Amino acid sequence: MIKKILIVDDSPVARKMLKKCILDQDQYEIVEAIDGQEGVDKFKEFSPDIVFLDLTMPVLDGYDALKQIKILDKDAIVIILTADIQPKSISTVMEYGAYTVIKKPAKVQSIKDIIQKADNKLKGIARATDEY
Amino acid sequence: MNTSHENIFSEEEKDILQEIMNIAFGNATADLANIIDIYVVLNVPDIHVIGVGDLPKYLDETIKLKGESSIVEQKFWGDFNGSGLLVFPDRTGKDLISVLDHNEQETFERPLAILEQEMLVEIGNILIGACVGKVADLLDTFVTYSPPQAITQTGESKTTLIESFDLNQSAIIMKTVFEFEKKNINGFLLIITNSECIGWLRKALNAFMESYE
Repeated sequence: MIKKILIVDDSPVARKMLKKCILDQDQYEIVEAIDGQEGVDKFKEFSPDIVFLDLTMPVLDGYDALKQIKILDKDAIVIILTADIQPKSISTVMEYGAYTVIKKPAKVQSIKDIIQKADNKLKGIARATDEY
Repeated sequence: MNTSHENIFSEEEKDILQEIMNIAFGNATADLANIIDIYVVLNVPDIHVIGVGDLPKYLDETIKLKGESSIVEQKFWGDFNGSGLLVFPDRTGKDLISVLDHNEQETFERPLAILEQEMLVEIGNILIGACVGKVADLLDTFVTYSPPQAITQTGESKTTLIESFDLNQSAIIMKTVFEFEKKNINGFLLIITNSECIGWLRKALNAFMESYE
């Protein structure tokens, strides 16, 4: 079950918009990072269940942050929340192991749906792990 | 630059405008990618408010326009009004001709300068139109456009540009830098609005965020 969420976006407005779209915020521990490098650092420190990651960011962009996170944990659920919806951007992050791509601005329904889907996946992973 | 202009918007309002510009330009590049086979590397947009009289200096210093540059200008009208400028410094605009491979035959039949201008106008029309249109959409209004026009950057054209603004007013500059990957072409998109729409813009930005409160 999802308990910890990491939001990585350089825009304070985008982070605020996303948090408002996460219903029942009280049931999650939400941590924020303001660029890709801080995102990777907080991923190591916080071990989130899911990550919302922007692509266009200073210091370390979302592409490199995604690659580093997937090296740290190949099963990490990283949801790309971006304005960059060019086909090549989407195919690149999917190739790097993103869970899915959501177009900005964040909307309540799409965030709710993706958290539910990620939650189901996590439960699936937990079940599969239990079997061994 | 006069700091009183910079203080027209609060930091939060600038942040909202920056995120809206980010979303709008992302949408615009996706529209462009649907039409031509090109990938645009995006950067974080900047928001500045300066005096209109400082615009030529800004264009020279911030964008470092040297020599001849290619500029496409498209004006837009409505609650949100101003000019969109797509700028390719140092004549890199001419390299855009190679982007439309399927028009290769045509390239040999028509003068290069005309093809360059047509290509610039077409790309400018897509990027400025889609970007401004998305900003307007997010801020719950609509705009109409004048036809885009290609201008070669000279002192005269910059003067013409600022003549459309009141020199005593502020210009809101939303700048995003981008690269056309593999084409080695860098450019800037500026959306410049004058202070006539600042009151409306401030209300619209706050209304936009209220939907997330």
